[in-house]
Amino acid sequence: MNNMGVRRAMLARWFDAATRRTTTGLAERTSRRGFLGRLGGVLAGAGALPLLPVERAFGAEEADEAPLPQGDAPEVGGLTEFGDPQSCDYWRYCGLGGALCACCGGSESTCPPGAEPSPITWVGTCRNPVDDRQYLISYNDCCGKAVCPRCFCHRTEGAKPVYFPSKSNNVLWCFGVASHAYHCTVAAVIGEVTEEAEAGEADAAG
Amino acid sequence: MTEWPAPRPAYRRLGMLALLCGGLATVGAPRQAEDAAAARIDYLLHCSGCHRPDGAGAPPEVPSLLGPIGRIVATPEGRAYTARVPEVAQAPLGDDRLARLLNWVLWEFSADTLPAGFRPLDAREVGAARKDVLADPLRARAAIVGHYGELEHQPSPAPY
Repeated sequence: MNNMGVRRAMLARWFDAATRRTTTGLAERTSRRGFLGRLGGVLAGAGALPLLPVERAFGAEEADEAPLPQGDAPEVGGLTEFGDPQSCDYWRYCGLGGALCACCGGSESTCPPGAEPSPITWVGTCRNPVDDRQYLISYNDCCGKAVCPRCFCHRTEGAKPVYFPSKSNNVLWCFGVASHAYHCTVAAVIGEVTEEAEAGEADAAG
Repeated sequence: MTEWPAPRPAYRRLGMLALLCGGLATVGAPRQAEDAAAARIDYLLHCSGCHRPDGAGAPPEVPSLLGPIGRIVATPEGRAYTARVPEVAQAPLGDDRLARLLNWVLWEFSADTLPAGFRPLDAREVGAARKDVLADPLRARAAIVGHYGELEHQPSPAPY
């Protein structure tokens, strides 16, 4: 019995010593803030991964195709604009129906990362109040992601959905893309309208 | 993009004719450039939404205007066809502007396949043709030019 009591006491002392060595060693080698910092990095990194601009809409078989052009046409590079591209009142949006890509991680003329611009669209005209000129606006939908719930606009200048179905701001223009899921709409300037073309439009409308 | 259609054979012949006519050359050239610029705006406004600004379209839904489409205008039926395609015939443009637009499309996108001695479409023939809108443009095109490679796609059995 006595022998057993000594052994038990030795085991308990060894266990106490081992526990103390481990915990003090851990406390000496590491810092609490360092651990929290690393944990935070891992959590934030995991959260950021799906936000990277990974092209999801294009399938592997289309990987060698040139990406669709985005943004305004080069010939209107010197355009002077005024206003808030995240507001429905912005001059370019005079015929836009849908969510503004400028509110959804893109801009007034480029899709957000991960959304694919539809090649098929409708084209209208809007007057730029800065230079009082009329510009051709291409309302491309950005597709392949769930609908963006911000900045929904409905302006109809130039849209004639009943008489000219191809000039409708209200249809889904996600044609010719891998996914028909609508995300948001851009308003790219693709040219300037001359006075003659404007007059013709007025004649045709009247 | 605004000069029309500088390096192309059909236009060179026209240019030679203009030069022969002396004074016409000085007046005619800027006018043609203006026409081309105006035709391009009409194209961007009324056609480029589907056929895209570079004419490449989005096959098979939207046929490309590049290349082989110039073969269509080799026959009288084909010339008329260009103005009978539904959205073309119904475009909110007068006959002269529609003719100018169609000629610009042919020269800009399909100069290499235009028939030798191609005579530009004029407002009168375009005006007459567009009165007879095609109910089935794909079938009509197949009857005129047959199949032309990867640009051709089969008429869909769907009711649209």
